[in-house]
Amino acid sequence: MEISQIIVNSLIRGAELSLLAIGLTMVYDILGFANFAHTEFAAFGAFLGFTFNSLLGINLLLSVVLAALLTGLIGILLDLSIFEKLRARNAKTLTMMIITMGMGIAIRNISRLIWTSSTKNFPMPLLQPLKILGARITRVQLGILFIAAISMVAFHLLLHHTKFGKALRAISDNKELARASAIDSAKMVQWMWFVAYSYAVIGGTMLAIEHLLYPRLGFDIIIPVFCAAILGGIGNPYGAVLGALTLGFAENVIISLDFGPLFSLGGLFDVGSLQLSTGYKPAISFMILILVLLIKPTGILGEN
Amino acid sequence: MPIANFTIYLFTMFGIYALFAMSLNLQVGYAGLVNFGQVAFFALGAYTSALLVVKAGLPIAVGIIAGMLASGFFGCLLAWPTKSLKSDYWAITTLAAGEVIRLFALNEKWLTEGPFGVMNIPQPLEGLIDKYYNIFYFIFVLIVVAVVYMLLSMLTDSPFGRNLKAIRDAEDLSKSLGKNTQKIKVQVMAIGGLVAGLAGAIFAHYMVYISPENFRPLETFLIWGMIIVGGRANNRGAILGAVVIQTFYVSTRFVGNYVPIGSDLMSAARMIVIGLLMVSFLIFRPEGLLRERKKTYPDEV
Amino acid sequence: MLKIENIEKSFGQLKAVNGVSLEIEKDDIFGLIGPNGSGKSTLFNIISGFYRKDKGEIYFDGERIDDLLPNQIVERGLCRTFQVSRAPERMTVLENMLLAAKNQVGENPLNALLKRPMVERSRKKNLKKAKELLSELDLFHLKDEYSGNLSGGQKKLLALGRIFMLEPKMVLLDEPTAGVNPTLTNNILKGMQNLREKTENSFFIVEHDMGVISDVCRKVFVLNSGEILAEGSPEEIQQNDKVLDAYLGRN
Repeated sequence: MEISQIIVNSLIRGAELSLLAIGLTMVYDILGFANFAHTEFAAFGAFLGFTFNSLLGINLLLSVVLAALLTGLIGILLDLSIFEKLRARNAKTLTMMIITMGMGIAIRNISRLIWTSSTKNFPMPLLQPLKILGARITRVQLGILFIAAISMVAFHLLLHHTKFGKALRAISDNKELARASAIDSAKMVQWMWFVAYSYAVIGGTMLAIEHLLYPRLGFDIIIPVFCAAILGGIGNPYGAVLGALTLGFAENVIISLDFGPLFSLGGLFDVGSLQLSTGYKPAISFMILILVLLIKPTGILGEN
Repeated sequence: MPIANFTIYLFTMFGIYALFAMSLNLQVGYAGLVNFGQVAFFALGAYTSALLVVKAGLPIAVGIIAGMLASGFFGCLLAWPTKSLKSDYWAITTLAAGEVIRLFALNEKWLTEGPFGVMNIPQPLEGLIDKYYNIFYFIFVLIVVAVVYMLLSMLTDSPFGRNLKAIRDAEDLSKSLGKNTQKIKVQVMAIGGLVAGLAGAIFAHYMVYISPENFRPLETFLIWGMIIVGGRANNRGAILGAVVIQTFYVSTRFVGNYVPIGSDLMSAARMIVIGLLMVSFLIFRPEGLLRERKKTYPDEV
Repeated sequence: MLKIENIEKSFGQLKAVNGVSLEIEKDDIFGLIGPNGSGKSTLFNIISGFYRKDKGEIYFDGERIDDLLPNQIVERGLCRTFQVSRAPERMTVLENMLLAAKNQVGENPLNALLKRPMVERSRKKNLKKAKELLSELDLFHLKDEYSGNLSGGQKKLLALGRIFMLEPKMVLLDEPTAGVNPTLTNNILKGMQNLREKTENSFFIVEHDMGVISDVCRKVFVLNSGEILAEGSPEEIQQNDKVLDAYLGRN
């Protein structure tokens, strides 16, 4: 494969995973538990967007925005009805994590009940892909990159130039202090859920547009998204973006590599060309995850 | 006799899932190690035993033991990179490992027959017992459950079990009292793996046919439902949970006969209930139906 | 017995411990005082292996221990308590005591299954000892209570009890009496001195309360901003100008 093609594919994959990993890492940082329902809500939101777009005929961008807002609201509601009470009770992070797993199972199957298991395609116009330095890129993919870039700039501004962002960073820096001013931080936590799930829906919809939409989508991306967050140093949103891009590149490079020369031991044996079977693509993020945990569990940007 | 046969099937499945749930309970309930990929151990036990017996022609007993060992070894392997990390990392690595094992079964057709699965798995003593074979197998499973329950109770009542609970409740403290918590975590993953592998092997020889479809992540969630509903750090709770969840799971199949709803939607509805059940139990009755028993030492000194 | 040479530790930009050297001899009680954030707990965490030092060396009984894991350090006879006492939520007080016993046969899972008589014998022995110690510490009536339900002071007393079971050569006590009512404080101090007389081991105590320190310690080290400011007998320390400025003056 052309190097330019690998770069394009990696960037797109990295952009999609970034939007998903940001929210996961933020919830982990502020609330201290891994949210195993995160990607499930992304898939659920993508289904909402699909419904608005193809069944109600609303414009795609508007559909995604609506779906993101709605899913964000669900995030707030779940915090008010479940997580806030558990926090007040000082529930263990382990309990929280298992609850999110149960929630994930429920939400995935709610999608299945409403939209059935059959795969869906976002209706996209079929246009000739563009060629940039030998790499093929569709207009839809260009749009994905563009929107991902805007979303990330918006996130940066949100974190640094709003009251919410400042409060969030303050909580992140000093969790003891944040607990002392509980009311303020409760509001911030709800906003955080809103942002986390809205971003997840944007990322999830992009994945669904580029590939397919089906109820198990959320489960299928949970490992890469966690991997991206851990790779970048869990708790750090910028690290999550870096981790997602790194993972995007790693996946695409490993898939296109020919391991033949390596195993022929410099031409001693003729093994022909050896490429990783695409059936194992999902395993790449697992291998990278294990490597990170073995070598540097705090991630690329983390301290020892 | 369809109802009698079905009842025996159901009870045999209770037994297999009770073993499976007890293996998870040891890791989660006692040691606090969150394992979201327990199905991988079940699959390893099932495939190892089935393949050794079908392809290598080894005796079934050897297959079952090899299945246990493979699964136990996998537990050690998995515990290695994560043994010094927090439980969040356990959760995600085990979840991922479960998927990798399934991918392996799906992709390595030369060994596992891929999506077609392994067929005609021999059953123990199948030529000798004809008519009441399923009753025989049920009794066999029952005996295995009883033995495993006894051995696990001995373990959890011992100083080893006390160390597990200490790691779960206060890992720092365990370290400060000289406990090698990393080694203990590897041990508990290995033992949990042995038991789950045993459950998997017994499952394979009972079903006669296994494929990657039998080892979807769904299975892990089911046994999580079992230990959350039944009660953690209590082996009886795990068994009770296996009975409750399995009864619910199997009985909803019949609902399809009366309500015009497709099997896919039915299974979605079923999993929604199990997911919500997990969440509600953790909120309203976190200890489960049978709570962890307080260990007291009656005055003997 | 415990020798610390030039230990340094930073967290990001913050230098928590900055070149601390000190030596603790056998069979006595030593104190470590200093204002909040002076690096006392960090130093304890480094000695006990919970934190990795950035620089420096630590020797215990002539053996270098700064690269060992916490449990390996305990095996060599150096153990610690925590400032906020850890108390397993769902383990009883008696189980806590049994947990601390050294080298139990049944800690190995295979032994637990196969060497039942040996496990039983060691259990009886430890049970007897645990019950005696609980009586001495005035905790016996709570033996079947979950340790998570104890008061802060009782948890500290239990922490001491666990140390008794462990029988170490040296104990690092992190604020053993902070936030504890006077009666319990007395119990804790009494227990500590009893233990020392019986086993001839040494204590190294982090304390806020100068009173406690001067009552029980032979020698006191004063830590300020991650450095040793002064060392000497409690009387000398109380008259040291630098110490008065940095620490006592503020109280």
